[in-house]
Parts: sequence; C-alpha cells; structure tokens
Amino acid sequence: MLSMNHLQKVYRTHLIETHALRDFSIHVDEGEFVAVTGPSGSGKTTFLNICGLLEEFSGGEYQLDGVDVRGLGDNARSRLRNEKIGFIFQSFNLIPDLNLFDNVDVPLRYRRFAAAERKRRIEDALARVGLASRMKHYPSELSGGQQQRVAIARALAGSPRLLLADEPTGNLDSLMARGVMELLEEINRQGTTIVMVTHDPELAARAQRNVHVIDGQVTDFSAEPDLGQHPAVTTAMPA
Amino acid sequence: MFAYYLQLGLRSLKRNPILTALMVVGIALGIAASMTTLTVMHLMGSDPIPWKSDKLHYVQLDNWSPDQPYNDDGSPPDQVTYRDAVALMAAARADRQVAMFKLALPIQPTNPELKPFRALVRVAGADFFPMFEPPFQYGSGWDRRQDGEHARVVVLGKAINEKLFGGQDSVGKTVRMDGVDYTVTGVLDDWHLRAKYYDLTGGAFTDPDELYMPFTTGIDLKQRASGNNSCWSAPASGWEAYLDSDCVWIQMWAELDSPARLAEFKAFLDSYVNEQKKLGRFPRPLNNRLLDVNEWMADQRVVSRDVQVQTGLGFAFLLVCLVNTIGLLLAKFTRKAGEIGLRRALGASRREVFTQFLVESGVIGISGGVLGLALTALGLLAVRALYSEYQTVAALDWMMVAATIVLSIVAALLAGLYPTWRACRVQPAAQLKI
Amino acid sequence: MEFRPILSALMRNKVSMVLIGLQVALTLAIVCNALFIISERLDRMHRPSGMNETDTFVFNSTGFGQGYDVRSVQQADLQLLRSLPGVVDATSVISVPMSQSGWSTSVNLQPNQATATADTALYMVDSHGLSTYGLKLVEGRNFTPAEIGFRTVNDRAAPPSVILTRALADRLFPQGGALGKQVYYDNGSTPTTIIGIVERMQTPWLDSDYIENSSLMPAYLPYGNTTPYLVRAEPGRRDEVMKEVEQRMIQANPSRVIGRMRSIEQVRAVSYAGDRAMAIILGAVIFALLAITALGIVGMASFWVAQRTRQIGTRRALGATRFDILRYFHTENFIITTLGLLLGGVLAYALSLWLMQQYQAPRLPWYYVPVGFVCLWALGQLAVLGPALRASRVPPALATRSV
Repeated sequence: MLSMNHLQKVYRTHLIETHALRDFSIHVDEGEFVAVTGPSGSGKTTFLNICGLLEEFSGGEYQLDGVDVRGLGDNARSRLRNEKIGFIFQSFNLIPDLNLFDNVDVPLRYRRFAAAERKRRIEDALARVGLASRMKHYPSELSGGQQQRVAIARALAGSPRLLLADEPTGNLDSLMARGVMELLEEINRQGTTIVMVTHDPELAARAQRNVHVIDGQVTDFSAEPDLGQHPAVTTAMPA
Repeated sequence: MFAYYLQLGLRSLKRNPILTALMVVGIALGIAASMTTLTVMHLMGSDPIPWKSDKLHYVQLDNWSPDQPYNDDGSPPDQVTYRDAVALMAAARADRQVAMFKLALPIQPTNPELKPFRALVRVAGADFFPMFEPPFQYGSGWDRRQDGEHARVVVLGKAINEKLFGGQDSVGKTVRMDGVDYTVTGVLDDWHLRAKYYDLTGGAFTDPDELYMPFTTGIDLKQRASGNNSCWSAPASGWEAYLDSDCVWIQMWAELDSPARLAEFKAFLDSYVNEQKKLGRFPRPLNNRLLDVNEWMADQRVVSRDVQVQTGLGFAFLLVCLVNTIGLLLAKFTRKAGEIGLRRALGASRREVFTQFLVESGVIGISGGVLGLALTALGLLAVRALYSEYQTVAALDWMMVAATIVLSIVAALLAGLYPTWRACRVQPAAQLKI
Repeated sequence: MEFRPILSALMRNKVSMVLIGLQVALTLAIVCNALFIISERLDRMHRPSGMNETDTFVFNSTGFGQGYDVRSVQQADLQLLRSLPGVVDATSVISVPMSQSGWSTSVNLQPNQATATADTALYMVDSHGLSTYGLKLVEGRNFTPAEIGFRTVNDRAAPPSVILTRALADRLFPQGGALGKQVYYDNGSTPTTIIGIVERMQTPWLDSDYIENSSLMPAYLPYGNTTPYLVRAEPGRRDEVMKEVEQRMIQANPSRVIGRMRSIEQVRAVSYAGDRAMAIILGAVIFALLAITALGIVGMASFWVAQRTRQIGTRRALGATRFDILRYFHTENFIITTLGLLLGGVLAYALSLWLMQQYQAPRLPWYYVPVGFVCLWALGQLAVLGPALRASRVPPALATRSV
C-alpha cells in the first residue's frame, strides 16, 4: 500500500540545514492500522506531510499504492491526494462557513463527481459517522467529537485507499476521543488502511502496529497485532 | 486613557501600513472630491450681502407679448423698460430704488503713455451706493440731486484708479470718455463680490464693472446698453422711439426695510401696472415679482446645474469611499478579535474597547482630513484652471477648512462605528479558546 | 462550477459581501451616468459651427470723440483690411457663432403674424460675408454690393433680401423650394426675399433650441461707434495677421480703441470651457471611483485570503489544485460583483430618471449598463487576481500545522 525507502527530508534556511527525516523506511500493507509515535520534533509531522503528499522529500523513494510519487507535479499530487487519501486533522479543519453537507462535499467537488453521485456519497459518509440528521448544521453548532466525526466522514466520502490521521483525538476529551477511536477501528475493520500519527501511547497501543520515530528515524517496530490491543484497554480503564 | 488609546491606535495603524494608507487615501479622496465641489457651490451661492439681502428686491414687471410669455415657465422678463424704470424712479415709493444698465465706453487717458481703452461702465442712480454698499477708498458716490442735474460725474473702481491715477486720491480730477470729461467723486476700495448679484443678466462671474456714472447722464449718451436687450415688438426708428418702446434692458432694484414696506410697494406696483393697462400697455395678466437677493440668485441659477451635479457626484464619491473604509476597517478589526477577547478577559469594559477602536478610526479620519484638505486645495486649483471665471469662488475659506476637517472625522467615525460595534460584541471567552 | 457552496459561504459573511457589493453598485450607477454626461458634452463640443474656424478672427473697433464718423471709418477699414497681405477676406459683422452674444428675432410666413413660425439668429454682412465666414452656399446666390444697406441699431428696417441656413429654410418651408420665397422678419409687414441658402451656420448661442437657424442680412450695422470685424487669413497665417491688423488699424485712425481681438478657435474654447471642464471633472471622478473600488476589492480579498489561510491549506490537502483555489476566489468575486451590479443597474437607471426630472437630462441609453457590467466584471477579476494568486500559493502542509 505504502512503501518508503531511505527517505530524506532536509529543511534549508540560509543559516542552517535541519534533517527532519534521515534514511526513513517504512512499509504499510493494505488493511493495516499503523500508529506512528514519537516525541515532539521527532519528524512525525514531516513523515505525515510527505506520506500525504503535502510536502516533497529530498531523497529516497516513496511508492503510494503502486505509484512512484517522486517528481510528480503539483496538480498530479493534488489529484492523487484527492483520490487515494483521506485526511483527519488534529483541529478538524472544517470550513466554518459551510454546513456539514457542504463540508463533506469539498473533496468530492475536486473529484469532479456528478451531483447525484456526490449527494449519495455525502449522505452515506455522514450516516456512517452517525450525523446524517444534522446535514444542514454548521460546524460551530457541533461538539468537538461531532466535528471530528464530520471530518472523518469528509475523509471517507471519496472512498480513499489510505486514511491519514494526525492526532485525531488531540483536541478532544477522553470520552469523545474514545468514540472517535472506535470509529476509526470500525473503518479499519471494513478494509481501509489507516496511518495515525500520535504522541499518545495509549492510543498508539490500540493500533495493530506501532512505529516509533526518534530524530527522523524509525527506531522500533512492534509487529504483533495482539500485543497492541491489551495494554491500551488496561491503561484506559483506571481513570 | 485617551493618550493610551491614541498610542495603541497609531501602533496598530503602523503595523499594516498598506491597509492604513488605503483607508487614509480613500477618505482623503472622498473628502477632497466632496469639499472641492461643495466649496465652489457654497461660495457661488453664498449670500453676498447677508445683513440686508432680504431687504433688496429685484423688480420684475410683465410687459410682454399677449401671444407668448417671456419665459416658457411664465415668469416675467428679467429686466424692465426705460419708461417703467423712469416712472418707478420718479414715484420713489421704495425706501431706496435704483435703475441701471451697463455701457462699454472708450476711455481716453490724459497720460500719453496710456493707450485709449474700453471700460465697462455701470450706469446707475445715486442710491446704488447706499443700497449695495461698496466700500470707498476715497470720496463718495454722487447724490440724488446730481442724478437730477444729469451731472457729469463718475466713481472709479480701484483697478481703474490704479491705472489712470496710480492709485492716488483722484477725487475732483477728470476722466475723459468718448470725448466728454467727467469729474471723479469717489474711488472704490477692493469690492470682493463673488457673484455680481446686482446684475445677473450677463453672467454672474464675468465682466466686473470698472466705473460708475449717473443713470440720467448715461441715457444722454444715447448709446445702447452693452447688456441684454429684448423686444417683443420691433421699436420704431430713432433713440426716442427706443426709449418709449416695450424693449426691456434695464435692471431695477428696490430697498424695502420691512415686510410692511414690501407689501406696500407690491401694491403700488400692481396699481402702477393696472394704470398702464388702461393706456393699452401690459397686455398680459398681472405678473409682478419682487424677489430678494437670494431668491433672485436662485432664480437666475447662479449656482449652475453643472456645479450642482458635480457636488452631488462629489458626495456620492465620498459615500463610496466611506463604504470602502467601512469594509477595510471591518476586515482589520475582525482580525483583532483575539486581541479584543484578551483585553476583555483582562478586564476592559465593552465601552473601553469601543473607545479604543473609535480612537483608531478617528486617527484615520484626521489623517484623511489633513490629506483631503491638501487635495481639496489642489482640486480648487484645478477648478480655477478649468473655469477661468470661477477665480473668486474656487478658493478655500476658513469655514470650509473647518468643515473639511469635521466632515472627515465624522466620516471616519461613521465608517468606524459599525466595525467597532462588531468588534465589541466579541465574547471574552470565545476568542481565547483556540 | 461550485457556485452554490461559495454563495452559501458568502451568505455567512453578509456584511463584507454587502459592502463590496454596495461599492460596486454605486460605482456602476455613477460611472454609467457620468460617462453618459461626458459623451453628451463631447457630442455637443463637436457640433460644427458651419464656418471656417482655423483661419478667422474677430475684433471690435470703438471710435471716440465728436469727429468720429463710424460709416466712413468702416468703409476705409474694410478696404484696408482686404488689402493687407495674408488676408483672404474681411467683413463687418455683428456677431459670430459660439460667441454667446448676438441678435435674434422671429421669421414669419405672413405679415404681422401673431405667433412666430421660427426663431433665427441674425448676422449682418456685406457681399464678402460668405467668403469671410467660409460658409458653403448650396442654393441661390451671394449678396451683390448694391444690396448692402446702412443701418443703425435704432433704425433697422427689414432688408429686401436674405440668405438662410438649410435648417431654417427647411423649418420655414418643410416641403422645400424656399429659394425665392418671401418671409417677414420682426413681426413686420415688409417682405424679404430668400436669395440664397447656405449649408450650415450656428447661432451665437450654444444652448439655443434653434442652433442652426441663422439668417444673413445684407447690411452695415455699427453698434453706436463700435464695429466688430471678422477677418479670414490665409491658412497658417492667422496669428501673424492678427498682430499686423491691430497695428494697422490704430495707425489708420488713432481716435479709437481696438479691443477683444480673438481667434474663432479662442471663441470656441472659451464658450465650451464649461463643457470641457465638466467632462474633465467627471472623467477624474470616474477614474478615482474605479481606482477606489479596485483597491477596495484588493483590500477585502487580501483580508479574506489571510483570514482563510488554514481553510485554503485544508482544501489543498483535500485535493484542490492551485488552479482550483484561484478559481474559487475569482468565482467568489464574480458572485459579489454580479450581485452588486444587479443592484447597480437599478441604481443607474434610477439616477438617470432623477437627473431627467431634476435637470431635464436625456435618458441614459440602455447599453451603458451592460457595457458597465462587463467593465466592472473585468475590473473585479483583475483586482482579485493578486490576492487569489497569493491564496493559490498557500502550501497544503499548512493543514497539519497546529494552531
């Protein structure tokens, strides 16, 4: 599904060079739920940006769903993002001036779907996150958890191959966070590959696989699916 | 506290220099356009003799043709006939009255270095001077007795006295015009008339009168006036027949010191015209008019339609500039929602926030006003270049300077009011969470 | 195109939209009407006077003193003027077109008619009049020297013959055949025969409602001791001839004043100065208005771009291309401008109606508003281009940046 080999990312200003990623390699298979963890400044966000084609990389190679993305133009990258990737952001990034329907509609518009097709997909996606009845509401009328559900619906509406989540519960309280997490797990069970960046070990523990990033490099794999789930359940309880 | 707000305002304006410049220039342009046109209109139409403009009345009698009115709107002729002027002067029923016209006469200077030249002479009765109150530098006008004697006397305007006598006291000296000598009885000082309101028949802003002579003396010259002359039937041949005709070419004013006197005079005019009707004159229905100075100026459109349209346009332009500034201020203040929330959280009252932002708008207004004033001066310069006859009415005066500044501040505050009100509605908590 | 979502997003920011829309509306209304006034003034200024304007000039001669005999001086002057080098022809006149002062009277088809058939300006010339004014005789003949009579302002008997302009001839005789017919001037009973028709000659008054009704009469008519002369110089020699004439006239007879020497081009410039000034002032206001409106759009759009940077990043992340972003802002501007223009169209016609009522102005031709639409659409799209380009350069990675 996703394969990065020896990826490099260097930020240059006229004074200093910063290596955000060095020799970064990772492979994610179809249907996996991978959590990427690491302390702040470790390169998590850079990884996510490159992974989601939001930024270019300086060296190495990256294949997304069989497409070599190196050297693709801005328009081609936009199209690839639009068709293959669904984004879930920490601060939801809903457009405040659009109602839920129109918010979910945004990526579909760029996909040039016909109106009827868009309508069907929007309604399906909102139904999947349980907000079908609030289509005409504006984001400001919803709770944080509900907003993130809308964002998830927006990510799902285009039937992406890969869901990229950036601290999806970072702005939510624990109850809402659990709801969102459960929703992601449900989506993953239905076959969508998920890569989630988080600094929260509890959340990470619920993924099938954890990738730990320190100083721009992958340092640790925990590949057994079962191991990931139990600690999360146990540590989530004591509260 | 005000100083603090002022400081905050200036700092905030400095932070977005382009946006600030846009707002200031916008206000300044709007102010300049509206004030330039308003100044011209104001000065053109301003009362030239405010202390007695309601007492001076322009005499109009309708002696026109039975078949068609003088004007399409039915108003009477703008001048009177010689017969009627003489009759009304002789009756002397007003507190003061004057009949007048203008002549262009050749002046032959005694100084051989000066070439003969043509000058515009106001031919008027002695009451002209006490009625319109021109300031005298030397001497005085002639009196009614000299009117009766057809005296060969003149009053010189300041400029022509400058030209002929080097600006010295020329009272008692003689001036030769068309082969006849006239004795100087007085010299006028600068007489700043914006509109030559006492005779609007040839345009209010053109051809200032250069010297003055008695009506009776002027008639003796048997010369046609150099102003307008209108006849509804062709006069018979000869000068006497012309004087006796129904041609109108004389301007007539009456000074009436009270409303009662005005009513009396009106009644007198009506009875005069009714008498004349018995002699077969005045075939039209009774249609006398006694407009005062300001009414007469409005009637004669001293403020032209073009100037009115330009003034309207100037203010429409100001409106657009204000809308523009409201939009930009709104944009600016909206971006400051966070700051407002913080200030509110730190204890600023809604009123204090309101004041702070209004001060900022006011600073824009004052800057716009000062720049606008400079642009207004430029605009008036342009008007003077475009309209050579508007020299006297396209000039800044103190009242208009003050009006400009006040208008710009009011405009900016008005423009700032809505955005400020919006800014103040920010809830202290709402903006702090993100 | 994504009209509906942009429009519904705009409806959530009504005030800003209304402000820009209002500005566009006022601009359209003012610009349409101002442009129309300008075009009217330009049309007015370009009306042909019918006479040669480039080579001609007028001046007054005013004699003084008891010994001055205006008639003999006039004859001597005309002889002198016609003999000067560089002079094509000269005539004594009472007025010239566009000078705003002159004589007018009524012309009738019957003697002592109660209501006039037509109004006309009067020009008194001798047999050199047609060639000095440079008028084009289209029918009939010129005056002969024998026809020219002496008149004074107080004794102005109707002349036996007259030359009319085409416009006046058509007014008097709509069926044609004016040449040779008799008419009556000054409500009088003495007939005057039409002996010639010239193509065109304006009256002296720019505002008269019979601007092309002029009559040329064969007469010498001094105004007291004042005689105005019209001189036509050889092409290109006018200014030099003007100086020469002034000197020679004084030399020929020192007991007079030569005054108000003006070329006809100056006469035209002075008389149309008001129209010219109006056109220039309105032009300046139109320019300033368009500039302010454009700057207002730039300012607002810049602000919106700044305010929505994160939203733009998100859209980019969700798959919008740079062009999609550019188009978003252009579409948004198009919607606002269009709403403003619709209101502005109504305002433009309302303003025109008001001007018609208040100032008897003519009706705004219908095509001004659609042309204004196109111009303001273009202005709006141009003004928003800068901010929109800035928006399109917002990187998609902005979406993942924490606040």
